[in-house]
Amino acid sequence: MAAQQKASSASQTPHLSPAELSYLYTSLSLPQNPIRPDGRSPTQFRPLTAEPDILPGTNGSARIGFADGTQAVVGVKAEVEKTVLSADTLDASNLSQQQGDFAAQEGRDGREGAGSAAVAGHGSWVQVSIEIPGFRDDDALPVFLSEMMRESLVGSVAGGNDSSDEMAGGLKGRLVINKRWHWRLYIDSQGEEDPFFDDDWAVAEHLYPRGTTNSTVKLSSSVPQVRPPITLLVISVGENTIFDPSREEIAVADAVLAISVARDGGDKNLKLLSIRTIDPPSRLTQPAVPNSENVNALGATAPTEDVAVLNPATGEEEVPGVWRPRRGGVKRSVIAQMVKTVLKKGGVGEEVLEGLEGVEVE
Amino acid sequence: MAITILPPVVDDLGHRPPYHAESDDSMSVDSDEDIDMTGTGSRPHKRPRLGGKIGTGVVTPGEVVTDDPQWMRGHGTYINPLSTSIIATVAGTVHKTNKLLSVHPLRARYTPEIGDLVVGRIVEVQSRRWKVDVAAPLLAQLPLSAINLPGGILRRRTSADELQIRSFFSEGDLVVAEVQSVHQDGSASLHTRSLKYGKLRNGVFLAVAGTGGSGASSSNVKGGVGSGSSGAGANPGGAGGVVRSRRQVWTADTANGGGEVDIILGVNGYIWISKHTDGAAAASSTTENVSITRMEEMVSSSIYSSQNDEIAPQTRREIARLAQCIQVLVQGGVRVEEGTVMGAYEASLQVDLEVGDDGEDEEDRQEGREYLEGSKARRILELEVQQR
Repeated sequence: MAAQQKASSASQTPHLSPAELSYLYTSLSLPQNPIRPDGRSPTQFRPLTAEPDILPGTNGSARIGFADGTQAVVGVKAEVEKTVLSADTLDASNLSQQQGDFAAQEGRDGREGAGSAAVAGHGSWVQVSIEIPGFRDDDALPVFLSEMMRESLVGSVAGGNDSSDEMAGGLKGRLVINKRWHWRLYIDSQGEEDPFFDDDWAVAEHLYPRGTTNSTVKLSSSVPQVRPPITLLVISVGENTIFDPSREEIAVADAVLAISVARDGGDKNLKLLSIRTIDPPSRLTQPAVPNSENVNALGATAPTEDVAVLNPATGEEEVPGVWRPRRGGVKRSVIAQMVKTVLKKGGVGEEVLEGLEGVEVE
Repeated sequence: MAITILPPVVDDLGHRPPYHAESDDSMSVDSDEDIDMTGTGSRPHKRPRLGGKIGTGVVTPGEVVTDDPQWMRGHGTYINPLSTSIIATVAGTVHKTNKLLSVHPLRARYTPEIGDLVVGRIVEVQSRRWKVDVAAPLLAQLPLSAINLPGGILRRRTSADELQIRSFFSEGDLVVAEVQSVHQDGSASLHTRSLKYGKLRNGVFLAVAGTGGSGASSSNVKGGVGSGSSGAGANPGGAGGVVRSRRQVWTADTANGGGEVDIILGVNGYIWISKHTDGAAAASSTTENVSITRMEEMVSSSIYSSQNDEIAPQTRREIARLAQCIQVLVQGGVRVEEGTVMGAYEASLQVDLEVGDDGEDEEDRQEGREYLEGSKARRILELEVQQR
């Protein structure tokens, strides 16, 4: 049981007291203008430090660091592998794509147009593994994270064969050398954090674009207009949408989403690749006892009856100042709002992509 | 701009071990960019240091500091009974006091001492006591007999109290307490038998390096964007963190309509910043001239409440600003105490005014204006150092 609990993402945040949770939640859910504990605006990201090419044994590598000391190291290695051409391969690739999103659907279309698996490439040629200290490599969190990365990476530019020949079949297509050989891509990342578990989500989300930037540069330096996808971690608190949440902010979130977006081919529009919901840790928190029910507070100075107020985002009744664990679930409009903030023209997704494109990799 | 990506900061070379100049493998050149990696990259040469020459840089556990018999071993060192060489047991800097040789750790956990004011988090509830995380090597204990009962009743703790132990403190709750005694193994016993102590609410918690974590380098905030590069404010003599001082708890008057805010600096590096509540103030300000029986009566029943009061957005904003100021101080390697915190707070207000003077777009300034990082942090540290 204990091991099972450890594997859940929800149990990874430390215990916060109900008073802290209530304070944070109320601050973050203030209408229009949430107050984050570190003073950032809702869409502001923490500054990152990044440097490429730190591991001599890889084909491309990068290190990402946060101001709070959280770090991650990514390495990309490419290997030549013999292409196995059989009916099994085709079936397997179909299966692997069905579990994915609509991008995979397009990928299949693209492959049909190209004629055979040897041209289109194969999703399993990209292998992502994520290591987090304190986790076994078969724990749910690293497995989930790496699959999330791989999926959007493989699915990202799958439909891009009409924009340029080199991009036929997307990243998978670029791994093809000829009919008999292909590249196999290993992407390993090692989170290395400092005092806490902190924000692996956030780290992973950031190291990902950089790691793949390197891989794209390695593999096909002739297609600079195609960018790898990015995965953004977004939480909702009350009716507010908050980006790049810190550990404490995730602890009070109503909903946690990992949204993957990428540039859609040649034009500047953003394409939504996937949305994954993440088990919000606020579910497992300790509830507060309102003063009216507290045996130790009977006869307190102000025995005013607290009036329960309806939370517009979750539809639950709450007494102000008293923390209640979230039961999960938010209104559809809140989810729509989160996605819209990422995708809209001049939205966060575009800003982040521009920010990443502005970075010069020497 | 939603996101900023910065080039890696080359850390202050002053605190560096001297070896990396002589190591010639390519790994160490790469990893010198970042302090976290020095462990793997610029590892010292395996040969022991010779003669009376003692390195002044950082030594690692197991490293021979000297094998000259003229030195006496101090804290953080060890002598093998069969030899005369002094071996470091902690990672830190070598200090010489006449002929005494000691190694001051770069970072260490808090070591409790009697009378320390600490902030702790309940991690375990046992039948007659709580186990409290106070950032010490061992969990501290808070016996049921060492708390105030609601209403200040003085009596033996009965089994009824034991049964409802979670109604006082339960897992995750934050308490402010005093170290009552320290046991043989270094673990502490706490008590909350005063109106100043008890459960914490109405505010935010943050953890920084505490007493004992004060080494000789500012590197206890690792790999940070602002750390090390802050030049102006960095104080090579001592690390940032909370130190034992005369006043660990005070009430600050905040600007921008924030009202009064209480700040509790636990000696262990745990900090609580909360809205000032009148009830507690009235009680604690009158404790001096109230007889002991009277005082017990005044223990408000709300000390075990976990319900927050109503807190205005302005107050929340100023609480967030104070918390950031403390983070800036710690990253800059400045000691955290009443003077420096309030100085940094004033400085941050001044920096806001300065930024306001620049003819920037109104919208831009509003956006994330309160985030103190990078240049703002440096400016605050500069102002803070000027003041002292």
